[in-house]
Amino acid sequence: MGARQERKLATRARVLAAARDLFDEHGFEATTIRLVAQRAGVSVGSVFTTFSGKDELLSQVMADRVEALQGELTRVIPHLRGPTVDRIRSIMAVHYGFETRRLKLFVAYVTASFTWARDGAVAPIGSNNRFRGILEDTLKGGVARGDVRPDIDVDLFIDALLAAYVWNYRLPAQAGADSSALIAQMDRQIGLLFDGIAARV
Amino acid sequence: MTQTSVCAFAPAQPMTRRALAKQRTRRHLLDAAKRLFNERGYEAATVRDIAAAAGLSTGAVFASFADKADLFGAVILDDFDALLEHLQACEQADVTAEGELLCLFNSIYAFQRDHLPLVRAAIGHSWLGQPEAERRVRAGVKRVLGHVGEVLRRGVERGELSADLDIRLTTEMIWESFIANYRHGLTEASDREALTTRLAAQIRILLAGWRAAA
Repeated sequence: MGARQERKLATRARVLAAARDLFDEHGFEATTIRLVAQRAGVSVGSVFTTFSGKDELLSQVMADRVEALQGELTRVIPHLRGPTVDRIRSIMAVHYGFETRRLKLFVAYVTASFTWARDGAVAPIGSNNRFRGILEDTLKGGVARGDVRPDIDVDLFIDALLAAYVWNYRLPAQAGADSSALIAQMDRQIGLLFDGIAARV
Repeated sequence: MTQTSVCAFAPAQPMTRRALAKQRTRRHLLDAAKRLFNERGYEAATVRDIAAAAGLSTGAVFASFADKADLFGAVILDDFDALLEHLQACEQADVTAEGELLCLFNSIYAFQRDHLPLVRAAIGHSWLGQPEAERRVRAGVKRVLGHVGEVLRRGVERGELSADLDIRLTTEMIWESFIANYRHGLTEASDREALTTRLAAQIRILLAGWRAAA
């Protein structure tokens, strides 16, 4: 790699780290490109040569976190035992445990996701196919194990699950709930959803 | 006549010209703000432009509202008021919980169709963590959720839904799925039938475990 290319990558990494920290400290609206440039020690212009704006920055920051979360999930999944409903609960608990470490960052992502243009520049929440795939495999495993009805509409079920998962993040914003409160709420919601897909004996 | 009874009749008295003018000014301002927030988005719509569109000075706007967020909160609540008025006729249209919910949400989508950017900004806004704005948005949402809860309660009364149904949790989850459709851009879909079909499927999934045994 040429020195020029290396510098470019280093700048990009600094900009993304600055953006991640600022979104996490101040939320989406109060974070400006000027602040990001300042903290990264680069010019406003050089931020704009790499990113079209705040939306794309946030989207890239979130994309860069996927690997770490995926790693945590991969470590947990082989150890899951018992009824499918509890396996799904454990998977969602890992998500909450991970995201609440940078809670305001995730809330910024939710905030922005309602107003983003859907032109493909930014990835909407819930669209990550690897995370969806993990849920899908677990549910299909449930069908094979016999505790999930075979006629389950997996996609719709995951959508309902993720809708509740995302909306729960309003709890810490409103009432200062921590990750265990979020997990408890999700456990109830998953329970309700499973009442509809549980295999009848 | 006691003083209390005089007070009780007071609201029936015609408004003073001053109060009427004030109310009219507020209406103009909210309409202009709604239009600009919808066309330009929350960030790009300035108080100065909104004031100009309403034929007011910027100072006159700040006499009624503390800042842009305050004005936006008032616009959202005003929109909720209009929405609830619009919903009234829908309630007895169908006799199943699923049918009633579909009718309810379809009429919400129909109402919001001509100002979707504002609606999405309002949902995004409710996440910003400004306690005052949050409280207001939640007050509006709560009123809509009240309608959903009523539909479920009637379903239980008819014996269609199980008496064990956790109405509050189910209401919230139906709302969450409804809201997620804005995030996925489904509400812009030109195919209204597709949206209705999806909504019906979402409702069925949430109510699946609660069909009363035949």
